[in-house]
Amino acid sequence: MRESRSGCGKATSSPAENYQLARRRTLQVVVSSLLTECGFESAEKATVESLTEMIQSYISEVGRCAKAYCEHTARITPTLSDAVVTLNEMGFNVDTLPGYAKRSQRMVITAPPVTNAPVIPKALIAGQKRTHPSHIPSHFPEFPDPHTYIKTPTFREPVSDYQVVREKAASQRRDVERALTRFMAKTGETQSLFKDDVTAFPLIAERPSSIPYLSALLPSELELQTLEETDSSEQDDQTDSENTPDDPGADKENSVLLAGGVVPSVKVSEENMIDNPYLRPVKKPKVRRKK
Amino acid sequence: MHEVKMNRKKDKGFESPRPFKLTHQVVCINNINFQRKSVIGFVELTIFPTVVNLNRIKLNSKQCRIYRVRVNDLEAPFIYNDPTLEVCHHESKQRNLNYFSSAYTAAVSAVDPDAGHGELVIKVPSELWKQGDEMNVLKVYIEFSLDQPKGGLHFVVPDVEGSMAERGAHVFSFGYQNSTRFWFPCVDSYSELCTWKLEFTVDASMVAVSCGDLVETVYTHDMRKKTFHYVLPIPTAASNISLSVGPFEILVDPYMHEVTHFCLPQLLPLLKHSMSYLHEIFEFYEEILTCRYPYSCFKTVFVDEAYVQVSSYASMSIFSTNLLHSAMIIDQTPLTRQCLAQALAQQFFGCFISRMSWADEWVLKGISGYIYGLYLKKTFGVNQYRHWIKEELDKMVEYELKMGGVLLHPTFGGGKDKDNPTPHLHFSIKHPHTLSWKYYKMFQCKAHLVMRLIENRISMEFMLQVFNKLLSLASTASSQKYQSHMWSQMLVSTHSFLKSISNVSGKDIGPLIKQWVDQSAVVKFFGSFAFNRKRNVLELEIRQDYTSSGTQKYVGPIKVTVQELDGSFNHTLQIEENSLKHDIPCHSKSRRNKKKKIPLMNGEEVDMDLSAMDADSPLLWIRIDPDMSILRKVEFEQADFMWQYQLRYERDVVAQEESILALEKFPTPASRLALTDILEQDQCFYKVRQGACFCLAKIANSMMSTWTGPPAMKSLFTRMFCCKSCPNIVKTNTFISFQSYFLQKTMPVAMAQLRDIQNLCPKDVLNFILDLIKYNDNRKNKFSDNYYRAELIDALTNSLTPAISISNEVRTVDNLNGDVRLILEEITRSLNMEKLLPSYRNTITVSCLRAIRMLQKNGHIPSDPSLFKSYAEYGHFVDVRVAALEAVVDYTRVDRSSVELQWLLNMVQNDPAHYIRHKILSMLGKNPPFTKAAESPLCNEALVDQLWKLMNSGTSHDWRLRCDAVNLYYTLFGLTRPSCLPLPELGLVLNLKEKKAVLNPTIKPEQGLDTTEMTGNTMGVHIPVMGFTSSLDEGLITMETVSSVSMSSGVAPPPQGLKRKLDSVVGPLGSSSPEPGQVLQEEDTSKKFKIRFNTVEEDEIDMESPHDSQAFIHHHLNILERPSTPGKEPPAVDQAVLSLPVTPLPSSFGKESTSSSKHSGDHHHHHHHHEHKKKKKKKHKHKHKHKHESKDKERDSHAFSNSPASGRSVRSPSMSD
Repeated sequence: MRESRSGCGKATSSPAENYQLARRRTLQVVVSSLLTECGFESAEKATVESLTEMIQSYISEVGRCAKAYCEHTARITPTLSDAVVTLNEMGFNVDTLPGYAKRSQRMVITAPPVTNAPVIPKALIAGQKRTHPSHIPSHFPEFPDPHTYIKTPTFREPVSDYQVVREKAASQRRDVERALTRFMAKTGETQSLFKDDVTAFPLIAERPSSIPYLSALLPSELELQTLEETDSSEQDDQTDSENTPDDPGADKENSVLLAGGVVPSVKVSEENMIDNPYLRPVKKPKVRRKK
Repeated sequence: MHEVKMNRKKDKGFESPRPFKLTHQVVCINNINFQRKSVIGFVELTIFPTVVNLNRIKLNSKQCRIYRVRVNDLEAPFIYNDPTLEVCHHESKQRNLNYFSSAYTAAVSAVDPDAGHGELVIKVPSELWKQGDEMNVLKVYIEFSLDQPKGGLHFVVPDVEGSMAERGAHVFSFGYQNSTRFWFPCVDSYSELCTWKLEFTVDASMVAVSCGDLVETVYTHDMRKKTFHYVLPIPTAASNISLSVGPFEILVDPYMHEVTHFCLPQLLPLLKHSMSYLHEIFEFYEEILTCRYPYSCFKTVFVDEAYVQVSSYASMSIFSTNLLHSAMIIDQTPLTRQCLAQALAQQFFGCFISRMSWADEWVLKGISGYIYGLYLKKTFGVNQYRHWIKEELDKMVEYELKMGGVLLHPTFGGGKDKDNPTPHLHFSIKHPHTLSWKYYKMFQCKAHLVMRLIENRISMEFMLQVFNKLLSLASTASSQKYQSHMWSQMLVSTHSFLKSISNVSGKDIGPLIKQWVDQSAVVKFFGSFAFNRKRNVLELEIRQDYTSSGTQKYVGPIKVTVQELDGSFNHTLQIEENSLKHDIPCHSKSRRNKKKKIPLMNGEEVDMDLSAMDADSPLLWIRIDPDMSILRKVEFEQADFMWQYQLRYERDVVAQEESILALEKFPTPASRLALTDILEQDQCFYKVRQGACFCLAKIANSMMSTWTGPPAMKSLFTRMFCCKSCPNIVKTNTFISFQSYFLQKTMPVAMAQLRDIQNLCPKDVLNFILDLIKYNDNRKNKFSDNYYRAELIDALTNSLTPAISISNEVRTVDNLNGDVRLILEEITRSLNMEKLLPSYRNTITVSCLRAIRMLQKNGHIPSDPSLFKSYAEYGHFVDVRVAALEAVVDYTRVDRSSVELQWLLNMVQNDPAHYIRHKILSMLGKNPPFTKAAESPLCNEALVDQLWKLMNSGTSHDWRLRCDAVNLYYTLFGLTRPSCLPLPELGLVLNLKEKKAVLNPTIKPEQGLDTTEMTGNTMGVHIPVMGFTSSLDEGLITMETVSSVSMSSGVAPPPQGLKRKLDSVVGPLGSSSPEPGQVLQEEDTSKKFKIRFNTVEEDEIDMESPHDSQAFIHHHLNILERPSTPGKEPPAVDQAVLSLPVTPLPSSFGKESTSSSKHSGDHHHHHHHHEHKKKKKKKHKHKHKHKHESKDKERDSHAFSNSPASGRSVRSPSMSD
């Protein structure tokens, strides 16, 4: 025991460690007295250590479990019932405990020497702690700090206001476009409207294309993408009251123009039967005639 | 001869101007080289002589290089002369447009196929003459090539990597009216019909699309090319033959398998969508005409750099590729369908049914335009149709009042100048090729309007019966063999058309035809009225203006519609010589029965608020000629409330549009209310509502001081198009209702025209527009918003007002106005985004360019054309180029920049795209850098020379362009000698024609003013020239045959300026001195000019007579030195390998003949010339000792020393002075 003490003595510097050592010493005393109670006269140091370790583990486990049960019910201090449930869970019959406590041959152990309990760093107190409402007995633990239970979301809820959404979408798009065109203008050739300041209002230099009609006539990929999306979401659009046209009769007239939009799907078999001279195979040349 | 007579009898009036009849033609193009832009081929014409001893065959051919001509396998000599290459040769200093126009008309007449003339004259070998008696068939075989053709065929060869097919290279034929002669020799007349066999050998990756049925496609032996064989069994004029070759994508129409569509690579999805409607147009026409489409197949080809948007040829049409669009595009859809409908209408009338002569053109254009109108009515509705008719009528009336009349059916009495039916015009309307393009457009416009008038007269049912009759006659005729002489039934003439009408309808439409067809000009009415309460009579006064230009007097019925309280009543009044006033009894008393509904014309009964009306009068509104059954302009006076009632309650869109126009003059709250109500009414035709927007803007500006409430249209727009929860934000786009879409596009543009007291666009409005741009959201839209966004940019442009300029400070970024800065930012961003995500047809770029020009013009940013010039370069989309060019043209005018003017004119000469060249000239004409009325530093001698050269010889490959150049010249300098030219040495000369003394229009020729146009002719070796003696008494023909010498420089184009020597005519003028006799002499010459034209028309060209000294000498030399038989033709070499350059001989007999001695009877002087020309010249020189004596000498010496042909072509430039 002394050795253990001395063994640890060097390290004892902080009050927290002192505290723990004192506890452990008490546990050793308990183990020793229990051994004496059971009729042992002496014990090896190692055995005592092992038994101390075991009892410490057991107590720690009881404490941990009790704590878990209490937290499970949203409390912070375990109550008696927590301990009981824990012991039961660990296979200990609680009913035997009072008898055991009153046994005749028990030894009384002196209280562990008073050591300064380690200073628990004070938690930041934010706001006023709530007092118990009337239906909660006063013995129940106090409410924790408000910040521990008041909801403080870390993200903003999406804004659902139509105007703001539109506003945002518009300025976002504008920003992207502006940044993109500025970038393009900075990295490529530009034309300018002003002679004094060529950087103001830079225009991306035009570039003649060999086949200008292609880009001018074919829809851009973006547009094609939009087209696909709107095709799938067309039904949604019609339920959107914000955008439905005021004039329901207009659709009918429009359909005249739109009617042509759908090419009838000619069946494959039918297509093979189309006799069009441009689809016929090219003939092999005839035998060369004499000239 | 029997046959011929029978033929003519059956033809009912059609007499061929030719001594032969064409029955069949083979065109074989066996090599098309895209790299070098050249074409090699041959044609074979089968002709039946209709006279004994057919010794000459005149054909049309321009710019083709002819290698050999054989008639029935015998080599035939030929002459190739194109007087239109260079119109005025000799008098380099003659610069007046009158002179040019008559010379140009003469040149066109000289080769006019309708008069039996042609550029190519082939001498029939004498061995074949006897066959003429037996009326045997002659087969004329002509080998030819084209090298970098400037007209007729257009090559589009994009400059990218890959094979020609991968690059999308293609070629197609084009032209204005009969222009087929540009790409193969033919009889280029709409009245000479024959059957066709067409063969085109092209690269295996290409498709050749042409007229008729594709019979077969055969690989060549090396399998690298294939030959397309077409047969066109329906007799067709050469002018209706076309070709396009390219790596086309092929789409067989899913509804009609005999219809095939072709487009350039990658555009197939657009083609599919754009063509999905064509079958309905087919059905429509076939139904109304009760006649099947006449050809067995139809092809549509979409090409880049098209000459016009739509051109129709027999069984095929060539369109601009820019008409193609995807399903997302709204605005282009109706336009493309209209183009298709026009093309198809012309298939029936124009291609299948052709015309007898140019004077009958109006019938074809009229019918095709008319049935196209019926299509419009059926597809786009009556409102659209009536709106279109009004638009066309207004356009035409405006043109006629400005420029003088448009004459549909010109008749020319003997071709004398005095009989010119349109003296008010600066061009001749005798030929399609001398017409101004704008005139031709108005001509077409008038033609279909007149058809509509005829319909009004005889009913549509009869009208369609007439068309059906024409078509069935033609289709019977088309299936006949040539020998049956029925083919001329396929030609329509004014006479036959009118006869048909009277047969079918039994009505006499003579007066109508006389008024609108045989006579030009329109009617201008002024109407006003008074209500006589005592008599309950409406006193209507209708006056006419028939004295100002472009107007004529109208006598006959006119319909007047009066809307009274008790209903609408039609009255037909007779416009007579001296009656101005007409009394119309009213049906209703001016009582006020407020509870009663008011019946309208269409039977509808409506409630009206009658408080605005005059208490004493039952009249709500009055309309004069509501059905537009007179080609007229009406200016009618009625009170503002009447116009307002008319706008609100008259159901005819034309009436609504008229009242909108009238209300501009009545800026009152009541007008404002009426317009706003119309704007809100969604049953109202959308174009009327669009018109109301602009009118409202104008009214608001006039009412500026008393205007209450938000800026006009703002709250309306907000209510219609903005979100209900947040009125400053526009709804996300859907464009489901097209009416709303068009209104949404228009309103901001109109609003931007609003001005406040400082004459600025109100801040509210500008911010409003900027917000529209900002909040525009198209993500959920299945349509593209490119047109909408473009119009928003246009709105920004409209909002611009002139910058307040403190001094003439340089425009800098720093002193940019805040609002303008915002606008400029939007424009910059939009323009830049276009580079990354181009919009359809680059509409946004177009609008941005216009906006930038407007910013420059208003002094917000420095005026600078360089940006526009870069966008105008070849390689941009055509709409962008046109917009940029428009800005440059505007800059040229505002800044009087000669650099830019030169740049533009340079582009006119060199740009690859014909449409752009045409557009530049017409824009310059519309927005001229200066006019004849004003002084300008730009107006100088060099410019006059340059433009003169442009129209004289620089535009000979394109009729339209030449006429554009003439128009511009007219706009800039007028008809007479440009004022900026130095005065000629001769002060005044007598112009006997106008009976007054005028400034001498000519100037002494100067030496050394050599226009080296001939440098194009780089051939080193010149051509053996042969002559042959004619056994007739005509003398000699100088002739030109093929040089077989192959040389590297052989690709040189034929000399463009075939210089003629008009010495005979103008010689004395050239060396004129201020003697009294000189004046006389000039007079004389001008008369000679006239005769010249006569001769050309009246008789066949007298090409053999020696007209000037040189020709004379040449002939003699030829006779002496050259064998007369053409049989010594060098052997033909493989055409594919060698290019065989030929210089068409500039013999130019066409004009020289004019001074031939045959017609010298009445002109002594003239006669004199011929016989003693050479002497006379010398005499002159001697007399006056002019400085150009040496040159004349040189000329003479040439005559003797040179090889005749080479001598000519080499010397001609200098001689032209």
